[in-house]
Amino acid sequence: MSEAPVKQQEYELDTSWMQHMGEWGMRAEPGKRGLTLTEIQIGSYGDIPEISKNMSGRPRGAGERADAYRVGAYGVRAKSEIWLQNATFLYEEALQRQWSSATDVPWHTIEALPDAVEEAECLLCTFFNEVEFVAGDVPARWVANTTPDFLEPRHVLLAQVMDESRHMDVFRKRALANGGGLMRMSGATSGFVGSIDLARDFTEMSTRLHISGEGAVLTMFRMGELFGQNEAEKIMYRLCAQDEARHVAFGVMHLRFLSETAPERREEIEFYLDEAEAQILSGVQNPAGTQAETAEALAILLGGGKEHYDEGHKKLLVIRRRQLKEYMQRVKTAGFGARFENGRSTVPQQYESAI
Amino acid sequence: MATKPSKGMAVPAAMPDSSGAKAVEGVPVPTFEWMGLSAEWGTRIKPGEHGLRLSDLNVGIYGEVPEVWEDQTRRPRGALPRPGVPPLPYNLRHKHQMWAESAANLYEEAIQRRWIPATDVPWASLKPLPDDVERAVCQVCTELMQYANTEIEIITYWQDQMSYGYYEVKQFLATATFDCARLIEALRKRALSNGGGLGQESRGLVNRMILESRGGWTESAVYLYLVRGTYMMQVLKGLLNAAHNDAERMIYGKAIEDWSRHLTYGYDHLKYSISHQAGQADILQTLLGLGEVMMAAELQESTMRPALAFIFGSGIKGGRTIGMETYLHLVGDFVRNYVAICDWLGVPRAEMLHPLLKKYLEY
Repeated sequence: MSEAPVKQQEYELDTSWMQHMGEWGMRAEPGKRGLTLTEIQIGSYGDIPEISKNMSGRPRGAGERADAYRVGAYGVRAKSEIWLQNATFLYEEALQRQWSSATDVPWHTIEALPDAVEEAECLLCTFFNEVEFVAGDVPARWVANTTPDFLEPRHVLLAQVMDESRHMDVFRKRALANGGGLMRMSGATSGFVGSIDLARDFTEMSTRLHISGEGAVLTMFRMGELFGQNEAEKIMYRLCAQDEARHVAFGVMHLRFLSETAPERREEIEFYLDEAEAQILSGVQNPAGTQAETAEALAILLGGGKEHYDEGHKKLLVIRRRQLKEYMQRVKTAGFGARFENGRSTVPQQYESAI
Repeated sequence: MATKPSKGMAVPAAMPDSSGAKAVEGVPVPTFEWMGLSAEWGTRIKPGEHGLRLSDLNVGIYGEVPEVWEDQTRRPRGALPRPGVPPLPYNLRHKHQMWAESAANLYEEAIQRRWIPATDVPWASLKPLPDDVERAVCQVCTELMQYANTEIEIITYWQDQMSYGYYEVKQFLATATFDCARLIEALRKRALSNGGGLGQESRGLVNRMILESRGGWTESAVYLYLVRGTYMMQVLKGLLNAAHNDAERMIYGKAIEDWSRHLTYGYDHLKYSISHQAGQADILQTLLGLGEVMMAAELQESTMRPALAFIFGSGIKGGRTIGMETYLHLVGDFVRNYVAICDWLGVPRAEMLHPLLKKYLEY
């Protein structure tokens, strides 16, 4: 006679949640760049609310629960306050273009430099080691303050925090790799009114950080071929430029979206641009600026030594001019180009005289 | 080369050098007053077998990590201060409030172990699943997305309060939030690519407990890593074991790699905090006493319970028997690991474990 099978314990399990899920039947397909965030913006999951009511932190499109805790306390809940059309592209590109300062920079190509050149490079690296993580700390704070309904821009900002962490690290490595060291801090990004980290509005912060501050730095990084003294430095600046370009693009495209969807804020934004432009060449946040001691260091690097300071200074002026030109291009792309035509902005005159 | 001072005050090695600075028309005469201002010069760090890593930089004064970092500016560790720079709200300025020796190496490992959900996950391996299983997978994805979102929000809340003296930790946490973003992305893609959708949102008992911890980063880390994180790791391992296809295997496998770093940091930090701050062990005992209540309640009421059971049991029917047994064993493993780690930290919980968690030790 066979033994009766042992009956396993049977547990009662709730299945009611299956009736309260998000939209069903989704079949996102990979596109030519794989299965990106764009491909999953399908059905209601691609509906971005103009104003988010998501205060529980649920993923966009998830089934709501009446008893979910409202733990969000999100200040940024209007799409116009943070959105940009190409967020998915910027995020996916950030993932594709991650790099390692430990192994992707050919540190072995660094050889001893003349003292003044090494000091100049170390001053520049100290500056970047100091300021790069402003662009990490500050966007991070805004991520915590933004509803997850705006997943895509949030993700771009988190990629930026990662990028800036890497920048902070690569410049410290350079400063300590060739017989030099860190030098005196600049204090360029500390707390005073109008500075990046004291902004109480995301767009104000982004204008100052992405368009003005990082814009100026991007121009410089792109010209790293001119002042990099070896392959390691040139690659370092090139890789940083790649990252910085995405950050600047975020700022430009967000401002463009805001200008198109919240025209009532245009005059307010013009004032933020006024403030940024007042500092664009004279502020100490611009390492090539007229008041920044890093400008002297740059001139040494551009000239290839203290003895060629004046030649280096001429090249520095080219960088400043390019910073102004690229700034104007960005602001025009963002939809605020009229300020360069109607006399509100002095940047065109600064550009003409920056020779 | 001018002699540089090795420590202390910023002293120019020489007077500002005007010898080469002849006035050239249109070129401002440089002052070069920044030259020679370094607290330690002559540092030459070479790349090792794994390249030039963050931990390699800790030589001389650059490796001196003080117990208290009074500076409220963004001064890099080892750089000279500048008088008159206004302070910023870097309120976490004690080493025991965030430190872990492993942070620098974990940062470099995070950089090396990058993966890209869009192109690295073999999405073509997804095949239709029975509706109840697909719903369970999507529900679990949704819950885990909220776990990761909570981690993002609590880290980013504290990150900009952490002083620059402990930059290794700030850098590591930047990688941790990036990992969270990537996991949210991967899980969302999984949920929306196989005929399903997102699940119902979590009520969020433990999420709330984590987000409402405001005493300090350590207090948040206790809930984030020791309570929630230890459980989440067990869940990921269970999901990997029960994965239906290569896409899921990759997502869960990579998540385990990423979260291993998070937990290493978290446990290391808690250990450091307890061993360097008097009374911290007692504080953690109090927090854990409360945390266990919340965790036990969430384990009981959360949709993770039935959803995981249905995954492990290959559907509702199997979920009610073998699936649930597997789930209970998973939670039992979580509680065992949790108790063991608490013991290692010096915050023993075995005798004080909340009864609603203790019961899982039977499995």
